[in-house]
Amino acid sequence: MDFSLTEEQTAFRDTVRTFLKDNLPVDVRDITRGKGHLSKEQYKRWHGILAAQGWSTPLWPIEHGGTGWSPIEYAIFDEECHAAGAPRVLPFSVSMLGPVLIAFGNDEQKERFLPGIQDGSDWWCQGFSEPGAGSDLASLKCAAVRDGDDYVINGQKTWTTLGQHADWIFCLVRTDPKAAKPQTGISFVMVPMDAEGIEVRPIITLDGGHEVNEVWFTDVRIPAAYLVGEENKGWNYAKFLLQNERIGIAGIGVSKNELEGLKRLASAEKKNGKPLIEDTSFKTKIAEIEIELRAMDITNKRMLVETGRGMDPGPVSSMLKIRGSEVAQRIYELKMEASGLYSLPFQPHAGDAGWNDELIGSLTNANSAPVYLNTRKISIFGGSNEIQRTIISKMVLGF
Amino acid sequence: MNFDYSEEQKMLVQSLERTLAKTYDFETYREQLASKATHTPELWESLAELGIMAMPLPESAGGFDGNHVDVMAVCTELGRRLVPEPYVSNVVMAAYIFEATGADDKLEAIATGETKYAAGFYEPGERHNALALNTTATENGGNYTLNGHKAVVLGADSADYLIVSADLDGASLFLLPATADGVTLRKYPLLDGRGAADIILDGAQATLLGTAGSGADIIEAAVDRAAAALCADTIGAVEEVKNLTQEYLRTRTQFGRPIGKFQVLAHRMVDLLVEFEQMKSIAMEAAVEARSEDTASRMRAVSAAKAKIGAASRFFGQESIQMHGGIGMTDEYALGAYVKRMLVNEVLFGDTDYHLTRFADT
Repeated sequence: MDFSLTEEQTAFRDTVRTFLKDNLPVDVRDITRGKGHLSKEQYKRWHGILAAQGWSTPLWPIEHGGTGWSPIEYAIFDEECHAAGAPRVLPFSVSMLGPVLIAFGNDEQKERFLPGIQDGSDWWCQGFSEPGAGSDLASLKCAAVRDGDDYVINGQKTWTTLGQHADWIFCLVRTDPKAAKPQTGISFVMVPMDAEGIEVRPIITLDGGHEVNEVWFTDVRIPAAYLVGEENKGWNYAKFLLQNERIGIAGIGVSKNELEGLKRLASAEKKNGKPLIEDTSFKTKIAEIEIELRAMDITNKRMLVETGRGMDPGPVSSMLKIRGSEVAQRIYELKMEASGLYSLPFQPHAGDAGWNDELIGSLTNANSAPVYLNTRKISIFGGSNEIQRTIISKMVLGF
Repeated sequence: MNFDYSEEQKMLVQSLERTLAKTYDFETYREQLASKATHTPELWESLAELGIMAMPLPESAGGFDGNHVDVMAVCTELGRRLVPEPYVSNVVMAAYIFEATGADDKLEAIATGETKYAAGFYEPGERHNALALNTTATENGGNYTLNGHKAVVLGADSADYLIVSADLDGASLFLLPATADGVTLRKYPLLDGRGAADIILDGAQATLLGTAGSGADIIEAAVDRAAAALCADTIGAVEEVKNLTQEYLRTRTQFGRPIGKFQVLAHRMVDLLVEFEQMKSIAMEAAVEARSEDTASRMRAVSAAKAKIGAASRFFGQESIQMHGGIGMTDEYALGAYVKRMLVNEVLFGDTDYHLTRFADT
């Protein structure tokens, strides 16, 4: 048992640190640190910089452009990125679709789609949830009907993150409405967002942001070549996709960075003329979450090492997701509390590129409530924490 | 970075497990409790024969030069089996104090289990502050006379010698026989059956360990090592609680189905599983850091563990009793014994509040 970094790991960390120092664009860093919304161009620029370094798809198999990093190295990379103020690479293409195509796609699909994912030239969004299919995802209704060499899609997807920027969407669609079980009538397809019959309608969330969307399909025609794997096997690929997400799911890097931000904020804010961070009650709240995160950091690394040795990744991902999201949400909550009265003026676009209004309070104050509200989502998306608990309890109790 | 026990540690755990499975099952524990005995010489000897007392001690004292992860491995098993023997008082606390004060000649008898010690720092009315001293020492031509009262000293019921702190130009450490004149021991079992005593010193003669006034750092380090050891002890206990509760939810039938099929219970079980992994992680870090030369880093790691494990083990106990229902309230079912073991571990060597505050301030 030894928690210190090995010499190689320290050298690796230094390499990552230097790379970030030399290559992370200042405008991207500032907006990320200020909790503003990045533009499409900024996301793509940063993705391209990582790709040029060969680091945009680190967890892929080496033959497809992965880096061969160990889970610990990936954790180091993740922490360094957040500490430097780099935005996270969006998961939809790199962490979700990519591994599915590598595992289940045919050679043509791999050749056609993997390079665009890797260099970030194709923007992908995810079409799983529907208005009537949230936690009960398998009840989804959006249907694809085979017509010659095509599929014709009708229905609606929702909660489509950054769908307004997307070139492509990967979807779960119903291809066999008569299947014995709802899960066995679902297929996994890829659809260009400029196809005729697709309409994207924004959903404004309670923080005032436009992140998610509804995507409507009316007689959208795609070639059957856009089906991934076999027809009616889509549910298996979706399960694979969700399990694959375990590395990074705990959000240790982002939470560590947010905790530092919380401490800076609590040092700047005053209570009874003294820094808030010296207040007994508030410093205890910080201590509690800092300890929880400390434990989570070790739990995360321990479990990643174990899954690398063959431990079932299912319950592990669920566990990391549950506690990781709880920890992160608590930190955002405390940042809002620390901001006091100046958490209240509603400035949802403060810190965005091109935002020039006069700031009320500090930028951290201004964003504290919108970020708190926005991140209530993290215990809901990707399978709500209650669904995760059910996954684990099925595993350990056997029913 | 690695999170595993070494091969030697794994073997140690296995042999300890085997021995305890044979010699100290739950029935033996209950019989011992009923007899009010807090210490069994035969069990103590058999533990010494396994080498678990020698393992963390320096080679010069017949030890194996082990570290605090070894201590964690041992204490986890002792907690798992509810063993009341004063391992922490001797191998963790007394041994460290002797090393730190240049009394290495005392270590060999700890490694063999031959002589037993207990270290008392805390005092009535001073809660969890190990450095609050009302006990005094006076010097008279190289002899020291102690007056004061030490509260709930783990292992003092079975100790041959006592180590106590007293004020002599600041915190200082003294050694005296438990049977010395002027020493009164009020012995009692704790909630879980481990033994302790209040020590009343009324003009007792003692020898000085180390130099006068240099005790504070040693006391804090000794308490941190003991706290880390009790964190590990709780890990062993809580793993049993986890297994008992999980099994109960799988097998107890009400309304025609196993109660674990009720989501309200299944999800609460999952929260316990998450807590268990978190407790284990932070206990590991405390073990790794307990002997760190960087004092702040040691204090933060130990306080993080003690605070987290204290709060989480209380939650674990409450939830497990609730999910068991009536059977969880009975004395004959093992759950209650583990809950009490964890409570004792929670309060000794700084409770949750104490360590949370220290973590925030360090």
